[in-house]
Amino acid sequence: MINNPNLEVEIAGVKLKNPVMTASGTFGYGEEFSPFFDLDKLGAMVLKGITLKPKMGNPPPRIIETPSGMLNSIGLQNVGVEMLIKEKLPYLQKYNTLVIINISGDTIEEYVELVRRLEEVSKEMEITGLEVNISCPNVKKGGMAWGTDAKSTYKIISNIRKATHLPLIVKLTPNVTDIKTIAQAAEEAGADALSLINALLGMAVDIDSREPKLANISGGLSGPAIKPVALWLVWQVFQTVNIPVIGIGGIIKVEDALEFIIAGARAIEIGTANFINPRVTIEIIDGIEKYLIENNIKDVNELVGSMKI
Amino acid sequence: MNFIYNITVKILSKQEVVPTIYLMRLRAPEIAQNALPGQFIHIKCSKVNYPLLRRPLSIHRIDKEKGEIYILFQVVGESTKLLAQNEVGDDLDIIGPIGNGFNIYPESRKIMIVGGGIGVAPLLALCEESIRQGKEVRVLIGALRKELVVREESFKVLGAKVDVATNDGSYKYKGLVTDLLERIIKEGWLADQIFACGPKLKLKKIVEVSLDAHIACQVSLEERMACGIGACLGCVCKIKTKDKEKDKVKHEYKRVCVDGPIFEGSEVVWDD
Repeated sequence: MINNPNLEVEIAGVKLKNPVMTASGTFGYGEEFSPFFDLDKLGAMVLKGITLKPKMGNPPPRIIETPSGMLNSIGLQNVGVEMLIKEKLPYLQKYNTLVIINISGDTIEEYVELVRRLEEVSKEMEITGLEVNISCPNVKKGGMAWGTDAKSTYKIISNIRKATHLPLIVKLTPNVTDIKTIAQAAEEAGADALSLINALLGMAVDIDSREPKLANISGGLSGPAIKPVALWLVWQVFQTVNIPVIGIGGIIKVEDALEFIIAGARAIEIGTANFINPRVTIEIIDGIEKYLIENNIKDVNELVGSMKI
Repeated sequence: MNFIYNITVKILSKQEVVPTIYLMRLRAPEIAQNALPGQFIHIKCSKVNYPLLRRPLSIHRIDKEKGEIYILFQVVGESTKLLAQNEVGDDLDIIGPIGNGFNIYPESRKIMIVGGGIGVAPLLALCEESIRQGKEVRVLIGALRKELVVREESFKVLGAKVDVATNDGSYKYKGLVTDLLERIIKEGWLADQIFACGPKLKLKKIVEVSLDAHIACQVSLEERMACGIGACLGCVCKIKTKDKEKDKVKHEYKRVCVDGPIFEGSEVVWDD
């Protein structure tokens, strides 16, 4: 009988106290969730995507609910890196949770300048690592454009790699013909881990007005509806690369998280579920521990990629 | 950010006040103690994943003594349909109180409250607070027809003077509530502040009428919402703000959930 199973996992050379992270864009800058639970319990926090300069984002409506999911077209609205450093990160200093900054840009130069700035303040601001967003479906330039082609993925990631010693997670888009080639390109370019999937492109139509329900026309589909797609892609990427894979996509309860871990995810990120249950991350951490105890597994790492085929 | 709770609360009473519009009383001491008029709660209406997201509903009345809050809502979709199917004694998973609340200026003596349709929902708590502060309050309720006029008596009982406009003239003033507002202003009853909630086009008109009469007007806005706690940036509206450094007007997207839902009407950019 196991009493205290090990929940610690290593991602990109960093030890996480458990495999549960928050997905960028669904957890604000952390502070928004502090009334609901102790942020120190998280494996890691991935903050709202940041760009070099502030971004206004897309016009509303930005959110539409769809069957067991939602479409969003936020468009990377954010305060810009200087405000992040000045006003958002200091709040997180009192916590021990690992902080990962999700970064976006239109050009290689922008990504590199952003990465250098974050590297400069990483010690003082206790930045654990970076998640490179090359998969945002809601911006015209940059974003997903980088991550839909193996060559451009290699180019952007190798440039970022040269600019920083910080652990690098690369977040992949599912909106590609073969995610394995993109994953390989990111690994070869120096990524320390891969996280997937970002949202699937989608649309909804108002049949009365015959207008798109989102002002941006298209948006990113997330939530339980996308879980099977995400699992399949995680499983494929897990078999292709030698770096850790972080599973994302529709995780709303502990069983979902376990599916991803068994399919090869060393850690998982919880996204849309945060909107519905602000304590969902903590409930899933507790649930993973309970599962390990009940199944007499002493270490969560034993479960990673343990799918029997 | 202070005093926000995710709690399970019991339904103490439920009443269909007019067809499709329900009044529910909830036992929620933590929320009642901290709630301000104009704030809302975010309700998980379904026990399963469809509908997935919570629904934001205004707090209709706040009873601090009894530790109770009221919600008034119209069945318009799957979530509100499920919500209305709950019975007395059932539990609801809610987050709240959320938002900034109405700002009643201390110097205001006369208050005009305008509600269109289900837009009266947040206004009863506001009316109660305004009267508690000793203000003279007039309430204008707009509805399509007589059967859909809600809560007229509840406002009267508090001590407000209530006028009603129906589009088809089936009850009291015939016409739009905005026409009624214009008429009352023309007659010379000038409020120090106007507060309004209702459909966006109606709010836009109410703000125009208010500003023409040089009366400050606050509006309660609605937008499609996901998290309700300021994290997702889904529920934004375009707001005019002053750039402090350059002293010029700029536009930015503010979150209806935590930067609002109450905004000064003069700051809202309507044509977006």
